[in-house]
Amino acid sequence: MARWVQVVRLRLRSLVRGSDVDRDLDRELRSHIAQEIDEHLASGMTLEEARRTAMVEFGSVGGIQEACRDTRRVAVVENVVRDLRYAGRTLVRQPGLAVAGSLSIALGVGANLTIFSLANGLLLASPSGYRTDRLVHIRTGNGSHVSYPAWRALSESGALGGIAGYSIEASVNWRGGDASVTIMPLLVTANFFDVVGVPMQRGRGFTAREATAERDARLVVVSDRFWRRQLNGDPDVVGRSLTLNGSPYTVLGVLAAGIRSVPGYGLSPDVYLPISRTLAPDLEKPRAAAVQLIGRLHDGQSVQAGRAAVRVVVQRIAERGDDPEFRTITMFTRVGGLSQAKDFKEAGAFFLVLAVVTALVLAIACANVAGLLLARGTARRREIAMRIALGASRSRLLQQLLTDGFVLALIGAATGVALTALLAELLLRVSLPLPLPLEIRLAFDSRLAGLALGLVLLSTLMTSLMPALQSTRPTLVPTLKQGEPAYGPRRLSLRGLLVIGQVAVTALLLVAAAVFLRNLTRAQSLDPGFDTQRAVVARLTFVEGRQGTIDAPAIQAVVDRVRSLAGVDGAAFSEGVPLTVFSGSRVGTSMRLDGAERPVHVEYDANRVGPGYFGAMGIPLLRGRDFDGADRSSAPPVVILNKEFADRYFEGRDPIGLHLAWGERPGSRSAEIVGIVANGKYRTLGEGRDAAIYTPYLQEPVVGRMVHVVARTAAAPDTVSSAISHAIRQADSSAAVQIQPMSSALAFAFLPSRIGALIFGALGMLAGLLAMVGLSGVVSFSVGRRTVEFGIRMALGASRGSIVRLVLRQSAVLVGAGLGIGMMMAVLLVRPLSAFVVADLRPNDPLHLAAAAALILAVGVGASWGPVRRAVRVDPATALRTD
Amino acid sequence: MSKPSDLIQGTLDLLILKTLALGPQHGWAIGKRIQLVSGGVLQITQGSLYPALHRLEQQGWITSKWLTTESGREVKSYSLTKAGTKQLARELENWDRLSAAIGLVVREV
Repeated sequence: MARWVQVVRLRLRSLVRGSDVDRDLDRELRSHIAQEIDEHLASGMTLEEARRTAMVEFGSVGGIQEACRDTRRVAVVENVVRDLRYAGRTLVRQPGLAVAGSLSIALGVGANLTIFSLANGLLLASPSGYRTDRLVHIRTGNGSHVSYPAWRALSESGALGGIAGYSIEASVNWRGGDASVTIMPLLVTANFFDVVGVPMQRGRGFTAREATAERDARLVVVSDRFWRRQLNGDPDVVGRSLTLNGSPYTVLGVLAAGIRSVPGYGLSPDVYLPISRTLAPDLEKPRAAAVQLIGRLHDGQSVQAGRAAVRVVVQRIAERGDDPEFRTITMFTRVGGLSQAKDFKEAGAFFLVLAVVTALVLAIACANVAGLLLARGTARRREIAMRIALGASRSRLLQQLLTDGFVLALIGAATGVALTALLAELLLRVSLPLPLPLEIRLAFDSRLAGLALGLVLLSTLMTSLMPALQSTRPTLVPTLKQGEPAYGPRRLSLRGLLVIGQVAVTALLLVAAAVFLRNLTRAQSLDPGFDTQRAVVARLTFVEGRQGTIDAPAIQAVVDRVRSLAGVDGAAFSEGVPLTVFSGSRVGTSMRLDGAERPVHVEYDANRVGPGYFGAMGIPLLRGRDFDGADRSSAPPVVILNKEFADRYFEGRDPIGLHLAWGERPGSRSAEIVGIVANGKYRTLGEGRDAAIYTPYLQEPVVGRMVHVVARTAAAPDTVSSAISHAIRQADSSAAVQIQPMSSALAFAFLPSRIGALIFGALGMLAGLLAMVGLSGVVSFSVGRRTVEFGIRMALGASRGSIVRLVLRQSAVLVGAGLGIGMMMAVLLVRPLSAFVVADLRPNDPLHLAAAAALILAVGVGASWGPVRRAVRVDPATALRTD
Repeated sequence: MSKPSDLIQGTLDLLILKTLALGPQHGWAIGKRIQLVSGGVLQITQGSLYPALHRLEQQGWITSKWLTTESGREVKSYSLTKAGTKQLARELENWDRLSAAIGLVVREV
């Protein structure tokens, strides 16, 4: 025990008070010599002789001191401190290198951190709650949701400490002032706040006892954002009443600011409501998908034990005969971190592509800094050779040179973190054209800190390892004897190789950028199959239970009112509007078609539309007739197909007048085909040619809570918007109305291509800029070294043109090689991008390669411009005199 | 005459510890004593003695303090710690094993 105390005390002493220790040692050695002299004197030498003999026998005092210092094992630390100081001094003396180097790294690191923290915040971070390491996501059976009775059985089983359910797929109307607004609620089971323990800033969450679905409790907890933006941060909000779907709900509390919601993906629901039959009418149906599950493990219960306990309950529920597939647990994982869910994987893939791209940008940035350090290494050759000659070990020199890079990387990374934080602040302020309340909050946590540290080390190695090895090559010692070889053979330098790599990676990124930019223009000019310029879309959300306004004839009355407005050419209602968030549903089922021998599997987009829809949308009716007022529930069922459905499944027969029936067995629901309309895009711009079936809204037994009114305008859409909105509100004042021109309603559909074009365009430009700096550095360095050579050539009669050619040839070799490699990589690597772009756009289209190549050539010319000018200005007389 | 580099690795530590086991000594005296006892065969140069003393002190086997000798010289005197006594026993055991092993090999006929 005591021994360790002594050891630690001594190490600390040598570290903190190293000079004391040195003085002590000095004193000890002096004392030794003195005794040696005493001995020699005693044997009869003169004082002078004794002293000289003692000194000769003793040998090098410095060597002993150095050896003793090494035994203290603090030499490493001491050296590091010294190196850091030295690196700081050198960087201050070369501010150009310091600024350019750290800024390059800052951009690279910043890009990486931003992408990672986005992914971290949206995908990996745990939701906010009490001891979230005990929370698990549970999925069972086929889907992500379970029925309400299944949740009740699971929750009451006590298999886990608690199991709560939540549902994001709902909307409620909030009446604030004189208008209704649709807001996004999180419908939660009564025990949600008990199980998750979401932090609150005011009031409290509801408890399982007071908010059970059966009691239909009118309680609400609001988000910080909703409280600030819509309730003006009212300090007395707790106890206040909010009118939701026409009924008063008492505010119990406000959630803490900046929390992550349980559903994840940055979703930030406006209000949290206890789930009830009023809000979810199908609640008690045994197989309705009502809620997703989140559970809290018992204290001390492992994930495996929890899973086993839940499996028992799940099997019991399945055996009761509800759903045989219910028995398999498909997900039972701690919240946060990686997940096996399909939606998670898709989002993850996108971020993975981005991560690769940003890593490439960092590599380019590091190549630049490495180039700068290599250039400096050449300039410092004599200094380094001198130090080697004086006995510095190679590893000691490497340590010094790596420290230089480390300091650069550290400053760069710190700046990068600051840039990321700045961007995060900006992201919170801009509002994206999203239909859902999203809060993109970059997560600054230990994972991000770890990544930042890793990036610092990585960029240290990438920037300085190669230059350090190069400039401490043992063969450098001859440099001491002679100056730089001025007319050595021109072989490809290490910097040249770096630039080739940079150009290659830049070419790859520019091809990707070209793909996304072209995708954007292509998407915007893509014909969606309907008129986007002269139409207005109004989304109406009705209050549940007000059947007076929600049934189809009443909606028809609203449409008639709109149709009679001046400036409106036509109007109709429909359940969904293509390419918006509510675009109708996608169906895959078996169908029996007239004239076909056996049932076929069909996949189509379904939409329910009112009379006049095709006219109002500008979708051409190719054959047959449109729906009309006579197609009601009493009349024989009819459908209209798009051309793709007719071509694909009727195989050349004329479908008009034929029937189709849903399901495999006879006797199920069937309908007569009365018309065929043109194809279009339904869910995404990138989809191929999809089949579609339209059914008449007036024949549907159930009418949804949400309906769209589409109006075709004669004038600019904006001018009639308010008139249309007014007309709708007159019909039902409790309905929430969102009205916008069709072109802006489609903004959501363009969002992925816009974001892709923005990110890849920005990163491509950044890479191009960095590569230009790198190339320019190499060429101008070599022009500087060849000044004398140019002088001789000119003195011997070389024309300026030939000098220009000489310089350009060097750039051309570098750019050409880089471009060639880059294009080969691009051909191979951009193919996976087709998952993110419109269907008929091929990522490795020669056009993209050509565009990228043109940009790279421009970069090459731009980078060579300055050096070329300097080269032709060489005055032969001056140049020759310098040698 | 044998240089310390010819000594088997770690033997110097053993010699120093053994010497100090007889009582506290300063550096010069340790070197002299080893030379004397070995009949002049083992001469420890200062270049290895002081780093070794330093190392042993850093490892906590020995401690040091400044004393004044009868002749009025200031010397740094080293003494064995409790841990150092145990370490000496371990090293002696090692030495016995090693020398016996070497003896076996060398004297094999």
